[in-house]
Amino acid sequence: MKITVICPNCKNQITIEGEEGEVKDITCPQCNEKGKVTFKDKKTEEAEIKSPTIEIKNLTKAYNGTKAVNNISFSIEKGEVFGFLGPNGAGKTTTIKSILGLIKIDSGEIKINNFDIHLLEKEAKKNVGYMPEKVAFYNNLTGLQNLYFYAEMKGASREECKNLIEEFGLGDSTNKKVGKYSKGMVQRLGMARAILGNPPILILDEPSSGLDPSGVLQIKNKIRELKQKGITIFVSSHILSEIQEVSDRVGIINRGTLVAKDSVYALSKKLNLKPRMIVELKNISKDIENAVKNIKQVDEVKIHENKIFILCDSKTKAKVILAIAKAGGNIINLTTLEPTLEEIFMRYTGDAV
Amino acid sequence: MIQNIIFSIAKKEIMDNIRNKWIIVMSISFAVLTLLVSYAGSIGSGGWQDLSGTVEGMSVLVNYFLTIIALMLSYSAIIGEIERGSMSALISLPVKRLEIILGKFLGLGAVLTFTILVGFGVAGIVIGTMVPNVDYWRYLLFIGATVLVGLVFLSIGMLLSCLLKKRSTAMGSAIFVFFLFTIIWGLILAALLIVTGNIQFSSDPNVAPVLKNPDWQYAMNFLNPLSAYGGIIKFNVLSSTDATYPAFYNSVNVFIALLIWLFAPLIVAYWAFKNKDI
Repeated sequence: MKITVICPNCKNQITIEGEEGEVKDITCPQCNEKGKVTFKDKKTEEAEIKSPTIEIKNLTKAYNGTKAVNNISFSIEKGEVFGFLGPNGAGKTTTIKSILGLIKIDSGEIKINNFDIHLLEKEAKKNVGYMPEKVAFYNNLTGLQNLYFYAEMKGASREECKNLIEEFGLGDSTNKKVGKYSKGMVQRLGMARAILGNPPILILDEPSSGLDPSGVLQIKNKIRELKQKGITIFVSSHILSEIQEVSDRVGIINRGTLVAKDSVYALSKKLNLKPRMIVELKNISKDIENAVKNIKQVDEVKIHENKIFILCDSKTKAKVILAIAKAGGNIINLTTLEPTLEEIFMRYTGDAV
Repeated sequence: MIQNIIFSIAKKEIMDNIRNKWIIVMSISFAVLTLLVSYAGSIGSGGWQDLSGTVEGMSVLVNYFLTIIALMLSYSAIIGEIERGSMSALISLPVKRLEIILGKFLGLGAVLTFTILVGFGVAGIVIGTMVPNVDYWRYLLFIGATVLVGLVFLSIGMLLSCLLKKRSTAMGSAIFVFFLFTIIWGLILAALLIVTGNIQFSSDPNVAPVLKNPDWQYAMNFLNPLSAYGGIIKFNVLSSTDATYPAFYNSVNVFIALLIWLFAPLIVAYWAFKNKDI
């Protein structure tokens, strides 16, 4: 049987062959990312037919008559990473707070693992780990004492708290009060608190907010690791590249309305966004530029130093290369950039992040 | 499970507050002042005087010192956590808002009770060693009533913390409550007595005004927890035999009034917190 998988790192589509039930090691030809692929038989696949872990139906919430969230509906499947995007004030945090029962909604239905958040609040919340945008702790207590407290609430063990403190690199600050922690340390402790007790669903609101690049990378890697373990992750972030890298699907909210929900690939198809070819040449001339511009399917041609940036669909790639070669161009390097989430976001919201 | 969660929250409140420098300073000051008041009250009598003799001085300390400690402990218990951001993480856990309110109240109540027991306990032991035949039963009643009125102000502080939208507003309101029940209340009462003609002034400046002590004046004592506390002390600790009180103003009713003052703000606080958007 043949299956197509998407590289979690570069989103490259890889088609591989194998037998039912076989587990194969694969390496992405584009970025060399390594991983394992299981060829599931039909029965297993049917058994895993994903039941939504978070289900939102017709959610509406208004503040002083202004609808912060207006009749939105979506669901998140088991094991999925769902990126949630929107400009400031679009309704992201209101949606997250509604899911967690932090605010009273005006109408709609929210279910977490089939438990209604308002009718079976405790049962629903047992399934969720949450990292708020503004991560805060009890500043007079140490990081470990804070985790012990949350562990008691979640029914987790003290051993797990100690392991998490070590895992997130906070082991050297065991006796330090959280009030003396740096922003990055607080953020890491926030992530540790969210995954404490191994909840099957994680809701992360701006998890990389205020972190340095290494902190951002650590959070990103953690999200990938949790995804591998089958954890469902709902993540909201302003860093679109980060969302694009880790998400299976994204939802875009604008002025309280959900304007898009799908994979980045599907959304770029819907919007007819084209990839950008970058051709690096030894020599560049007006003839080469004109030869590319004369191709009907090419939308845009820009030249910078010895590189030509060409906006066209994948099918036109060959034509472009041929035209450059015919015009006397000597190609050194060729790269293709897929449409970015930022382009998609801009098209849906008309806004910069 | 519900008891475990309430207990865990209470334990966290205790751990958090015993590390709070402000609370430590206030508690030590309270203990020192209690000793000073109990000793100062005895200077005139040439040594440490009987416990019941110092109770009046100590209850003044309760009025001004313990009220402010209780209000300062509780005014930011809920709104402070909401503003700081830790409340959203707490509510996202499998915890009910009622458990949060009860856990916090019990934790803060334990801190306050400990402060009272240390302050009055140390004074009691010192005086007990100095004065023969101390009536400890009455002293324990005094401590019990003091804990109760402390919890009442804790409950009022929790109400402000749940009802108001900003920590700064809750703090301002707590300060107002303090002044209302300690100073302004007496002024209101005096004004009402004058307006209703229950204080009669003589045209002769050498003759003191005559106070009629109407019944409603005693009923007003139920409306101020500090006055109700004063009533408990008067009836049970000082054993006042003043026979001019109306029938409804008695030991049981002032105790009931204080219990209402304890539970009513807590119930309203829970209702406000339950409906609050975090």
